[in-house]
Amino acid sequence: MNNQNTNKRIFSVITQTLKMHPVIIVLLALIVIFGSIYPDRFFSPINFKSILRQFVTLTLFALGPSFVVLTGRLDLSFVGVWMLGGVFVWLFKPILGMFAIIMIPVVGVATGLFIGVIQTKAKIPSFILTLSLLVTYTGLSALIAGGYPRAVEGYEFITSPLIPLIPTAFLLTIPIIAAAIFLMKYTRICVYLNAIGSNEEGAQLAGINVDKYKILAFMLSGLFTGIGAMILFQHLGGSAQMELKLNTIVWPLVAIVLGGTPLTGGSGGPQRTLLGAITFTVFYRGLYLSALHPIMVPLLVGVLLIVSIIISARGLKGVTVT
Amino acid sequence: MNDKLLEVKDVYKTFDRVVHALNGVSIEARENEIVGVVGENGAGKSTLMKILVGVYSPDKGELYHKGRRVPFPRNPKEAARRGISIVYQEKGVIPWLKVYQFLFLGHEDKYIKLLTLQMDRMKEQACEILEELHVACKVEAYMHELPLSTQKKIEIARAILGVRLESEDGETTPIIILDEPTAPLTDNECKEMFRDLLKMKKNASFIFISHIIPEVMEYTDRVHVLRDGNLVAQYDLSEEKMTEEDLFRAIVGRKSSEYISRAEDREVAGKEVVLSAKNLTKRGHFYDVSFDLHRGNCIGFFGPAGSGKSKIIRTIAGLMNHDEGQLTAKDQELKADELPHERLSRGIGYFSGETGKELFLNWSIAKNISIINMKKILGKIIPVIQFKTERKMAENIVQKLEIKAPSVRTDCYSLSGGNKQKVSVGKWLERNPDILLLDDPTIGIDVGSREDIYEVLLEMKKKDISMILVSDEPKEYSILCDNIMFVMDGRVQKVLGPEEFRKVMST
Repeated sequence: MNNQNTNKRIFSVITQTLKMHPVIIVLLALIVIFGSIYPDRFFSPINFKSILRQFVTLTLFALGPSFVVLTGRLDLSFVGVWMLGGVFVWLFKPILGMFAIIMIPVVGVATGLFIGVIQTKAKIPSFILTLSLLVTYTGLSALIAGGYPRAVEGYEFITSPLIPLIPTAFLLTIPIIAAAIFLMKYTRICVYLNAIGSNEEGAQLAGINVDKYKILAFMLSGLFTGIGAMILFQHLGGSAQMELKLNTIVWPLVAIVLGGTPLTGGSGGPQRTLLGAITFTVFYRGLYLSALHPIMVPLLVGVLLIVSIIISARGLKGVTVT
Repeated sequence: MNDKLLEVKDVYKTFDRVVHALNGVSIEARENEIVGVVGENGAGKSTLMKILVGVYSPDKGELYHKGRRVPFPRNPKEAARRGISIVYQEKGVIPWLKVYQFLFLGHEDKYIKLLTLQMDRMKEQACEILEELHVACKVEAYMHELPLSTQKKIEIARAILGVRLESEDGETTPIIILDEPTAPLTDNECKEMFRDLLKMKKNASFIFISHIIPEVMEYTDRVHVLRDGNLVAQYDLSEEKMTEEDLFRAIVGRKSSEYISRAEDREVAGKEVVLSAKNLTKRGHFYDVSFDLHRGNCIGFFGPAGSGKSKIIRTIAGLMNHDEGQLTAKDQELKADELPHERLSRGIGYFSGETGKELFLNWSIAKNISIINMKKILGKIIPVIQFKTERKMAENIVQKLEIKAPSVRTDCYSLSGGNKQKVSVGKWLERNPDILLLDDPTIGIDVGSREDIYEVLLEMKKKDISMILVSDEPKEYSILCDNIMFVMDGRVQKVLGPEEFRKVMST
């Protein structure tokens, strides 16, 4: 009897979770599909490691902007923070030594503050503002670094292997993820950002200082991107990058939307982005291992983005806010 | 002269088979006159006009044009062919077009020769029509350079031109519907527009939709009054002598039988003043509003739509800034540029009956209640949300207000209108502000739920919460208010007690 009750409870918890995070179904389906087509390659240790590596990249880039997307705005500056921050590390290494890495979160928070203030005071659409800033940062990075990537040594410990099969960068990502989830689940920040995205006038009437929390969202975005980019700096080669790749901008957005945070804001948040990131990684790795020509992959990624935007805008209206 | 140009007979329109937007309404427009159609929000004015221009089709009804029965138009172009065109309240103007381009927008196909637009011919004709209609402006000017009143006149000219170009014979007298044309204009611009509108009467007939009573009284020849989808009265203003108050009462209706006097809920003034205003002015909206709100009392601002009553309450809430005058709460002056969250921290809450504004519909009941009671659910030592406290708080409210919902985790969008309203009022009950501003607290909900909301509000009043009410429902004032300020044209005309108010409304 008791056993039956527990079963029932577990069942209801599972259905509740699936209802809240429908992307889990997609994730499981992808694993089953890829796993049954080529189990040897898909379940290999190398692939496992690759998935984790890519998950780290995607998550660290996508976590920050998730805070902003929650309010119905968009922050594309994350790649810029990573690039300009990297150049600053190279620039300040001779002066600050190992502490030069701190420059990345500093750039991140400053960027967030800047965007937030401009966005709220001048009422400019965040998409075009952050996009322009991204381009500016790319130019600035190239100018400072002299036009080509600069390798910086001394941070190899960030990615030096600790546990077999699990990249160290992944281990370092865990506390960042935990911090984001804590912020989203247990503090009022989550409620307020959601409120702004869901019904800005209502948020104002409920006595929320809307401008302050919008700026805070951009600053949190900058902070999380900055801290994440400290790891990414080494994770992605240990050098200040010059080249702006479209994939680095688009993939995190796919992860955010796929996770169930609609770009119009109002529900979701970083915790969902994690699910989106892992699902996208499995999707990408699965295609990568398949017999498909690599040229097909960007096309399919684009289709996935379009489909998930449509679904998240229409179908998830009733999904509960966590 | 007074031939019936257009006649609409017994029009019925239902939406979703439930809402009766129009219940057998008949109106007529004669040659060369301005006929007013007035009524409150939701009286059916807009629905009727949309039927005339072919946006909606009626369920039943007849349309006569110059005495000949014609079918209802199926789209705006067909309506124009019958001579009917509309000028919408706003957003009709495209700012970056030149005047002549705007005038002929959508009719360019009549000015194409050898694949090119005949600009010169268009400009020539534009000049002609503007001159004919007494609109003074250059055809080469951009729309956004012109004053708003001129823009409006050009819009009217465009509507008349559209009818001329579309109608079969070119002889039809245009019937131009003006949907609250003066809403975006200042007083002077209004006067200027009407001056020229009276001249244009030679060229067209106008159906003038408005809820601004003085305008209607001054400029229309006849007026139809709609209420709740029925034609309740029509007056020939050139013959009948009427005051603004008469017309206002016709619009609002004499619902005297419904009034409930609840003297026992009222308290005499005498407690301390929690909010006072001195000569509060927002230019263009309201002037010299002064009042003292005592603890546990309720003041109502009553008047027709457009009188400035809702602007007053929005100003107190911090959604608008006043230009002049003083607003004092608890001996502290409130600065004009304070935002709603600053006003709330002083204990002034704003409750709007529009659930879309007030609630986060994709959130659960519990979250909607806790959002303005965040301090109560945060941990004492670390400011972390206590989910158990949040749930208990919401369960308490749900039980107290008898909100019908499976659980407090239910999302608000799935609730009925009345229950949504209870959630919004419930969160304020939990918050317990010093002053609660009520902006149409029961808009759009059924009678039963209304009574429940009144119960809650009266209970809050007993707990010494002061209130300011603005509503479209006269009954609400006599239930809730201790003092009623009659607002007309942005000025307080007189202050009435609930008994007097009831007397005035029932005569």
